[in-house]
Amino acid sequence: MIEVRNLTKRFGSTVAVDRVGFDVPAGTVFGLLGPNGAGKTTTLRILATLIAADEGEATVAGHDVVREAEAVRRTIGVVNGGMGLYDRLTGRETLRWFGELYGMERAAIDARIDTLSSLLDLTETLDRRCGDFSTGMKQKIVIARAVIHDPPVLFFDEASSGLDVLARRALLDFARTYPTAQRSVIWSTHVMSEAEELCDRVGIVVGGRLIGEGTVTDLRERADEARDLEEAFFRLVRKAGLAAEVAA
Amino acid sequence: MIRGAWVWTVARKEILSTVRDRRALISNLLIPLLVLPVVMLGLPLLMGGLFEREQASITAVALEAREALPEPLREAIQTQNAELEAVDDALLAVRDDRAPVGLIVPDGYAEDLAAGATPTLRILTKAGNLQSELATGKVRSAIEAYRQGLVAERLADAGLEPAVLTPVVTEMRDASRPEEQSSGQLAWIIPFFVAIWALAGGQMTAIDATAGEKERGTLEALLVAPVRRAEVVAGKFLATLATAVSASTMAIFGIVLGGVLMQSIFLPRLDESASEMVNVMGGTPNLSFGGFWLLLISAVLLAAAISALLIAIATFARSFKEAQSYIAPLSFVLIVPAIGLQFADLLDFGSGIYLVPVVNVMLLIDDVLGGSVAFGDVLATWGSMALLVVALLAFALQSFKRESVIFRT
Repeated sequence: MIEVRNLTKRFGSTVAVDRVGFDVPAGTVFGLLGPNGAGKTTTLRILATLIAADEGEATVAGHDVVREAEAVRRTIGVVNGGMGLYDRLTGRETLRWFGELYGMERAAIDARIDTLSSLLDLTETLDRRCGDFSTGMKQKIVIARAVIHDPPVLFFDEASSGLDVLARRALLDFARTYPTAQRSVIWSTHVMSEAEELCDRVGIVVGGRLIGEGTVTDLRERADEARDLEEAFFRLVRKAGLAAEVAA
Repeated sequence: MIRGAWVWTVARKEILSTVRDRRALISNLLIPLLVLPVVMLGLPLLMGGLFEREQASITAVALEAREALPEPLREAIQTQNAELEAVDDALLAVRDDRAPVGLIVPDGYAEDLAAGATPTLRILTKAGNLQSELATGKVRSAIEAYRQGLVAERLADAGLEPAVLTPVVTEMRDASRPEEQSSGQLAWIIPFFVAIWALAGGQMTAIDATAGEKERGTLEALLVAPVRRAEVVAGKFLATLATAVSASTMAIFGIVLGGVLMQSIFLPRLDESASEMVNVMGGTPNLSFGGFWLLLISAVLLAAAISALLIAIATFARSFKEAQSYIAPLSFVLIVPAIGLQFADLLDFGSGIYLVPVVNVMLLIDDVLGGSVAFGDVLATWGSMALLVVALLAFALQSFKRESVIFRT
C-alpha cells in the first residue's frame, strides 16, 4: 500500500530524514515511533505531498508522491494533533466543503456525513459552529474531515496529543478498526504505549534514521528480549549510537 | 491549469467566513458607507454653518480709543453685525479671548484725518483662530466701506468722479469645468478613501485566509486535499478581492450619497456665503454614468492589486498578529500618493505618471471627479495595474509553493 525507499530530506545543513525506507501492506497499522524532532512529521509530509524529498522515492496506493501528487492526495487522509477547524463554519459545512474539494457530489457527501455521524457520534457537532466546540468535539470533526472521501490510506501524526482520556480512547479505537483489506494506517507518535497497543509493525526513527522496523515482538527480541517496547526502544537507540539524540 | 470550480469552492468558504464575522461586516461595509458622507458633508457643513453663524451673530470688537470713533466708521461696524466694547488694552482683550477681534484708534485720529494725513487703524486678530479671522473679516469690511466713503468725499471735494481711481477694471471668471467646480478642494481625499477601504476591507479576509489558516492549523488539511496551489491562491485572492471591492464600492456609494444629500437637502438650506464655503471645501461631486463606471473599474483594479499584495505578504506571516504588523506600513504607500494629489496641479510628470501603479489610479479617480479623463491615461492606468496584479499573484503563488513559507509556524 505504501512503499518508501531511501527517503532523504535536508533543511539547510540539517538532515531531517536520512535514507528512510519501509513498506506498509494493506490491512495494517504501521507505527512511526520516535522522539520529537526525529523526522516523523517530515516523513509524513513527504508522503502527503506537502513537501518534496531531496532523495529517494515513495509510492502511496500505487501513486508516486512526486509525479502523481494529486492522485496521492485523493487517496490519503491526514489527522494531526495541531490541526484546527474553521471557527465560523459548522461541522456539516466543514465536511461538505472538504467533500467538494475531493470532487464528491453533494448527495454522496451527505450520505458519507450520515455514515460518519453514526460511526463517530457527530450529532452534537454537525450543526454547531466549530468555534464553539470542545477539544473532543473538534477531534471528531477533524477525523471525519480526514476520511470524508473514504481514503485507503490514513496518516495520524501525534494525533492524540492534547486529548483527554476518552477522546484519546475513541481515536485509538477508530485507528485500530480503520484498516481493511484495502486500507492502511500510519500512526506517528512518541508515546510507546500507543504504538505497542495499536501498531502491527513499528518503525523506530531517531535523528532522521530508521534504526529498527518490525512487529513489536520482533523489536523486543532484537533488543535482547526487552520487557516492552519502551525498553526495546532505548536499547536499540543505544545500539545505534544515537543515545545523545534522544537525550537532546 | 486552474479549475474554476475548485477556485470558487475555496473562495466561497473564505467569503462565508468573512460574512459571518460581524466585526468585518461593520468595518468593511457599514463604516465606509457612513463615514464618507459624514466627512464629505460634516466638515464642509460645519465650516459653512460656523461661517453662517458668525455672520449672523453679533461680534464683539474690543475698541481701544481715547476719543470718540468717527460716526461713519461706527455705523459701518454696526452694519457688519459687530458691537464695539471699549477696553483699556485691546491687545490683552483679544489675547485673553474676551473679544475675537480688537481695534486700536490712535490719539488725534479725527484731527489727523481732517488735516489730510493717513493715520493708521490697528486691527488685532488671532492668526490661525477661525472665529477670530471671521470676526476680523467683519471689521476689515467695515473699515473698507468707511475708507471708500472717505475717498468718495475727498474726490467730490476735489471735483473728481470715483471712477478716476479705477482706470483699469478686471473681472475674474472660473474657467474650470462644472465637474471641477463641483468636486471641491477635498476631492483628493476621495481616491484616498477608496484605496484605504480596499486595504481595510481586503486585509481581514487575506489574513484570515493565509496567516489565519496557519495559526488555526487548517492550512495543512487544505493542502493535502486534491486542490492545486494555484487554485488555492486564486480562490483566496478572489475572496479577498470580493471584500476589498465591497468595501471600496461602499466608499464610492458613500461619496455619491454625500453628493446627493448635499445637493438635495443641505445646500438649499444654507445662505449664499455658507453654500460657497461648502462648495469650496467639500464640493458636491456629480458623477456621470460613465464616470461612475470608470471610477468603479479603477477602484476594482486598485483593490485587485491591493488584494494580491495582501495575500503575498500575509502568506509569510505565522499568525494574524504578525500579518497585521506586516500590512500596517502599506497604509503609508497609499497615503503618500494621496497627499501628493493635493499638489497635482503644481507637478507636471506628463502622461508617464499614469504608468506608475497606485498613483495612476488615484490620479485617474481625481480626473474622473474633475471631469477631464484622457483615453490614453485610462489605458495606461488599467494596463499597468493589470500587469501588477498578475505579477503579485505569481509572487503569491511562488510563496505558497515554498515549504519554508507554508510551514513557517
